[in-house]
Amino acid sequence: MGVFAWRNLLTRPMRTLLALIGLSIPILGVLGLFSLSDGLRNMVGDTLSQIEGVMVMSENSPSPVASSMTTDVVAKIRAIPGVRAAAPEVWRLAPDVEGRGLTSRLIGGVMTKSWNSMLDQPVVTGQDIAAHAKLRSAVYPRSLKTKGEGRFLNEGDVGKPNVVISRKLAKQFGAGPGEPKKVGDRLRISDVDCTIVGLYDTGSMLLDGVIVMDIGMARKLLGMAPETVSAVYVEADTPPGYEAIREAIEKAEPTVTARSMNEVQSSFNVMMSEVDKVLMLVVSLALAVGVVGIVNTMLMSTTERFVEFGVLRTLGWSQADVLRLVTTESACLGLLAGVVGCLLAWAGATVANQFLGGGIRLGVTPGSMALGLGLSVATGVLGGFYPAWKAARMAPMEAIRLGSR
Amino acid sequence: MIDVVDVHKTYKSGTREVHALRGVTCHIQKGRRAFIVGPSGSGKSTLLYMLGVVDHPTSGRILVEGRDLTAMSEAERNDYRRDRVGFIFQSFNLIGNLSAIENVLVPFLPRGVTPERRDRAKELLIRVGLGDRLDHRPYQLSGGEQQRVAIARALVKDPDLLLADEPTGELDSKAGDEIHHLLRELQETSEATLVVVTHDRRFITPQDLVLEIQDGLLAGDDDAEPAGGLRSAADAAS
Repeated sequence: MGVFAWRNLLTRPMRTLLALIGLSIPILGVLGLFSLSDGLRNMVGDTLSQIEGVMVMSENSPSPVASSMTTDVVAKIRAIPGVRAAAPEVWRLAPDVEGRGLTSRLIGGVMTKSWNSMLDQPVVTGQDIAAHAKLRSAVYPRSLKTKGEGRFLNEGDVGKPNVVISRKLAKQFGAGPGEPKKVGDRLRISDVDCTIVGLYDTGSMLLDGVIVMDIGMARKLLGMAPETVSAVYVEADTPPGYEAIREAIEKAEPTVTARSMNEVQSSFNVMMSEVDKVLMLVVSLALAVGVVGIVNTMLMSTTERFVEFGVLRTLGWSQADVLRLVTTESACLGLLAGVVGCLLAWAGATVANQFLGGGIRLGVTPGSMALGLGLSVATGVLGGFYPAWKAARMAPMEAIRLGSR
Repeated sequence: MIDVVDVHKTYKSGTREVHALRGVTCHIQKGRRAFIVGPSGSGKSTLLYMLGVVDHPTSGRILVEGRDLTAMSEAERNDYRRDRVGFIFQSFNLIGNLSAIENVLVPFLPRGVTPERRDRAKELLIRVGLGDRLDHRPYQLSGGEQQRVAIARALVKDPDLLLADEPTGELDSKAGDEIHHLLRELQETSEATLVVVTHDRRFITPQDLVLEIQDGLLAGDDDAEPAGGLRSAADAAS
């Protein structure tokens, strides 16, 4: 019966093709959205896996960029048993870099339709170099050592306008395409000419937008008071571990929020699960459109074939047999649309990955393909069920008479 | 043996009530050839389809070998049609995207085609003269050849009852003659009861039974005494 159903679909190739396109696009959308969601999840996961410590910020700050505390908090944190190292940092959105500010980037981005340049807002972080030298899990020195060039900041950079930037920023603020900034080049931040002493490359778009410099220099550049810190990066001894330290910090200093990377990861997961719900809603709407397309196609197909169904019933086919034939046809249509949707999604992800950077990798996994195929077949069966039921319940004589008109 | 007892059929056509059959009673012995004749719209095909449980009477009973077709459940009707009845239609009604042999095997598709059934289908197509066209699609066959495929399809299940609705209605006279001779020959060898609806009395022999219907009644009946209406062809001619 499967072969018969398949041939019935091929009998009307244009209609089958249109229905197939109508369903494969929602399937492509489903896989595309979930692949993007997975890509974001993986990127954040990869980013957070590079950071081990606890980030202490002012209470309820969503990000170090929005946080402001006084330096006396550092001493309080260092006094907590189990804290191995506490390194103060200042964080702010970068002022104009190479004469380009947020406004010019936005306008330029719109004019050139370069969404990346609109979103790539650099951030300046000033680090207490001596305190950071004691860290074991500092991201930037490690990534500079493994994939970067030049050197990281050291005691000799205190008070000097020396910066370490990412390769991405080096490209972004280079003289032109193929001419990125190099170690030793100048980088003008606001009205200060800084010297690039090192280039790092974490591979994460969340980390690669940061210009690292001495904390004192950063305060001057950003117009922050000398006793101000945005965040304190804390490393703990193995026992008691990061969760215990996080709790201890918040207990000792109630005006701060301490976030371990596990906690950030779980907050992100909660946020992404909400995003997934929205995606499911979008997907459901897209699939509903797909179902309507299948219903339309199969209704047209069954209405044209009343005589055939009447004849089949006369030859001894039961109502269930006719129902099975039509739903098999629509399931085949769904399967075909699923295969096309999966192939398009795979090809689209492969092409998109050539252009995407910053650690986002779109992936169409076997699991998501199985989901796409399953949804597609289910949509096909669901869409074919009403026409199938309509065809099956008709009395053979009535079907032959109606179809002969 | 087929017993049709006081069968009425009424249906609505728009707001009008149509009395297709108005108390038909007849009797067909097993293995015989019966021809239902009469003008268009007289109820011939309605009676034929009732014998094949494709249509239901409004009242009355139809018994085949003592089994009441009008009391059958939906499942029993399906089984009866599948196992006991072979249909031949005026318009052949082959499935366009199946080959000749696949069309013959259509009744078995839902439950699977065994090699024995395939051999039987092949044998029947050879018998109807289409041994060299097993894999031809209907559009590659002439009208007469398509009707031969339809005959093979009706016979493939070795039915007890072979029902033909104007089997030569869409054929030229030469092809029509061939089909009638083929039907007659195959019916004789299969021992099935053959009931044919036709306008063409050329094919009726004196040994055949004739059920002549006019206005939903068998000829010879009257309203007072619907006594059967079964006549031999010789009676019908007199």
